[in-house]
Amino acid sequence: VSTIELLRDGFASALTWGHLLWALAGVTLGTAVGVLPGIGPALTVALLLPITFTLDATSAFIMFGGIYYGAMYGGSTTSILLNTPGETGAIATAIDGHAMARQGRGAPALTTAAIGSFVAGTLATVALTFFAPLLASVALRFGPAEYFALSVLSFTTVSALIGGSLVRGLFSLFLGLALGLVGIDQLTGDARFAFGIPQLLDGIDLLILVIGLFAVGETFYQAWRHGRDAPEPIGLQAFTGMSREDWRRSWRPWLRGAAIGFPLGVLPVGGSVIPTFLSYSVEKRLSRRPEEFGHGAIEGVAGPEAANNAAAAGVLVPLLTLGLPSSATAAVLLAAFEQYGLQPGPLLFASRPDLVWTLIASLYIGNVMLLVLNLPLAPVWARVMLVPRPLLFGGILVLASLGAYSLNSSLLDVGLLFAAGVVGCAMRARDVPLVPAVLGLVLGPLAELQFRRALAISEGDPSVFVTRPLCAALLAISAVALILPAVFKDRRA
Amino acid sequence: MTRTVHAALVWATVCFAWVSGAVAQPVVNELRIIAPAAPGGGWDQTARAMQQALQRAGLVRIAPVENVPGAAGTIGLARFIGAEAGRRDVVLVSGLIMLGGIVTHRAPVTLHDVTPLARLTGEYEVIAVPAASPFRTLRDLLDAFVARPESISWGGGSAGGSDQILAGLVADAVGVPPSRVNYIAFSGGGESMAAILGGQVSVGINGLAEFAPQIEAGALRALAISSGARLPGVDVPTLREQGLAIEFENWRSLAAPPGLAAPDRARLETLIAAMVASPPWRETLARYRWLDRYLAGDAFTRFSAAEESRVRNVLQKFAEGQRGSRTGPEPYPWLVIAGLLVTGALLVRQEVASPGGGAGAPRGPILLLAAAAVLHLLLVERAGFVVAAAVLFWLAARAFDPRHPLRDGLFAAGISVSAYVLFARVLHLSLPAGLLAGWL
Repeated sequence: VSTIELLRDGFASALTWGHLLWALAGVTLGTAVGVLPGIGPALTVALLLPITFTLDATSAFIMFGGIYYGAMYGGSTTSILLNTPGETGAIATAIDGHAMARQGRGAPALTTAAIGSFVAGTLATVALTFFAPLLASVALRFGPAEYFALSVLSFTTVSALIGGSLVRGLFSLFLGLALGLVGIDQLTGDARFAFGIPQLLDGIDLLILVIGLFAVGETFYQAWRHGRDAPEPIGLQAFTGMSREDWRRSWRPWLRGAAIGFPLGVLPVGGSVIPTFLSYSVEKRLSRRPEEFGHGAIEGVAGPEAANNAAAAGVLVPLLTLGLPSSATAAVLLAAFEQYGLQPGPLLFASRPDLVWTLIASLYIGNVMLLVLNLPLAPVWARVMLVPRPLLFGGILVLASLGAYSLNSSLLDVGLLFAAGVVGCAMRARDVPLVPAVLGLVLGPLAELQFRRALAISEGDPSVFVTRPLCAALLAISAVALILPAVFKDRRA
Repeated sequence: MTRTVHAALVWATVCFAWVSGAVAQPVVNELRIIAPAAPGGGWDQTARAMQQALQRAGLVRIAPVENVPGAAGTIGLARFIGAEAGRRDVVLVSGLIMLGGIVTHRAPVTLHDVTPLARLTGEYEVIAVPAASPFRTLRDLLDAFVARPESISWGGGSAGGSDQILAGLVADAVGVPPSRVNYIAFSGGGESMAAILGGQVSVGINGLAEFAPQIEAGALRALAISSGARLPGVDVPTLREQGLAIEFENWRSLAAPPGLAAPDRARLETLIAAMVASPPWRETLARYRWLDRYLAGDAFTRFSAAEESRVRNVLQKFAEGQRGSRTGPEPYPWLVIAGLLVTGALLVRQEVASPGGGAGAPRGPILLLAAAAVLHLLLVERAGFVVAAAVLFWLAARAFDPRHPLRDGLFAAGISVSAYVLFARVLHLSLPAGLLAGWL
């Protein structure tokens, strides 16, 4: 039986009223939890598991798939409007998305995010449909040495985000790397820099640092400047759609975002931070107006949002074909499969084709639903910017605290949140860029861990990094990515 | 926005009411189950399976699950001992991996600090190699391992977990010091499975349930299983029949808070016994393919003590002589700290040379905001989330514009209460209710 026929059967099953209703419930709920900081799709699916237990497996998974995709759409909304990323995949979006919202261009930013998510989500689902087993076997060729090379490649994106001053950018990066040291050393199990505080054993949560630096830091900074200089006027542009210019500047980033996000999602190393920031730096490098980045360049929203959704689809490849969960949500989905006595993995496509193909078909349908749901909402959401600022800032602080507390039910996290807010305020006041710190916290521990794993496996022989072809290729690309811009700059000068 | 959430939640609630139907009068009104791990893992699954079984068997009216993840469950354990002492309506999911975590992370608390209730389930571990591996049998693998221990890389879950413990027991049994086991720790199921399937490590250790589909599909070759006798339907030789006197299982158990009165402990033990015997729990065991390893009372206490000394013994052997090994973390942290200090010093020098704009003593608004944050932190667990959030909102709004105290107050109360109701009541997240516990 060919893939096309299986997919057609899947659509026939997904397009029944019952299944459509579950898909709608899933995408609606997913968008909602994506908007709320701190509560993500993993927790939502876990909370719903006991409720859905008596549903048939297909309906339940259609809803879970909807929640998963929906959360990716919802995460960008607070990121763009309030500078408060609801999910880690929406951090890159905040940089230019929030700048656009402040210029009154919130609606076009939300629109390009929604359409980009749809385009990339659909393309990635097509790739999932036709190439899943092939891609999964390629992903298995990635060992610790390759992951180390990949994190080196990701580090090169920092140079695109470092801002005007090298010293300030590097200080921010090292601050993030230092924060990344906190917690248990995964290879030995020893605690590092935890200062005897048990909650620090698991390290500093990325989301707490991000919400603290961005949302709380922004609020503190506005209070710091309050009365010092006139507040920046925020209005809304009368025209709320995307202009012809916006379309022209968005479509290539959507496609590139999909091309970057999907393969990185397939690799079983969790996280949407790397694909979104890679997409951001690629867009900045390719742009003819790189100076606009950071001040409301629409490419900086279109690319990362597309990459985020494509990566989300990519995560499903190892989950469905190999039974490998590579993100928190995938781990919960795996648990959900087990609840139904199903084992995702090499045999699932053969043993339950009806379920797999209905699920895949409903992912296409869910994407369409999300587009239909989110497009008309964009101008409505954008009006959030008109809420009186005292109420807006009060609401942001309450939501941030709620999100931080609900991550681990720990008061220490709320304290860390405010501490990060103070640091974020000071960094803003001194023009130190925030994003390198976030990348340092994500990439530092990853690079260190994979480097040491690779050396442990090779019994300490460093030649693994050049003798393994994939690894050597990735390192070579990193070198080119670092050197080329410098060469071009010389030529232009 | 809130309307769509609300509609979806109402709908979910209606579905729930419809599927749960009428149940008999429950024995216990509420039993909180703490899973000291993130959603998706074994402890979380155990907690949620218990939740279902207890509610469906009509033993407990409501059994909310709380996740307190981190550090092999020791963060959840420390919190359980501190915050729940003497309470009779809460249990903690724990087990072998927590024993390992206590030793590896040098936790200040142990399982002696809680009231043991019962062992519930167990899972045997499997040693397997990728299908393309040159090792056909356990003997092949162990010959190579004994000849040059470091050349064999063992992939498994986090350091101090059940997979590493078994690797240590095997090494010990063939006379290799566990400190020479080249154990590569991965975080959780997916990552280690990918490394094993892809042949990145020589051999992998994992639970039977995780490995079974890969073995059935022929992607992995199982060399040994850690059960005492061969399991029905699982064609894998035991360690024992291949000459290694090792029996090992990754067991999961339940504990109650410390300082529990004897009648309360007996009540919880009866409840657990009733759950284990109930048809919903039997169905759950079959569905997840868990082994029923129910063991309660003094027998469980003795078992737990024996396991603790075994785990402590093997993990300490791992640590011996591992200081200064080549995979150690040494240079990296100091490079990072040095980089931070150097760039920080350069930054300060630049600032001194040419002070930027915006300098000056902090003024009223930022001070008020700082006070709001501190007050919020003090109030969250004392007065409850709603009060703390309302204070934070009101003071923050006033910091920016003091002209509308009443409007700000109304919004503060409205947003705090609705956030609490949405998260704590509808989504069942644990937020402190505090002073308003009676009303909300």
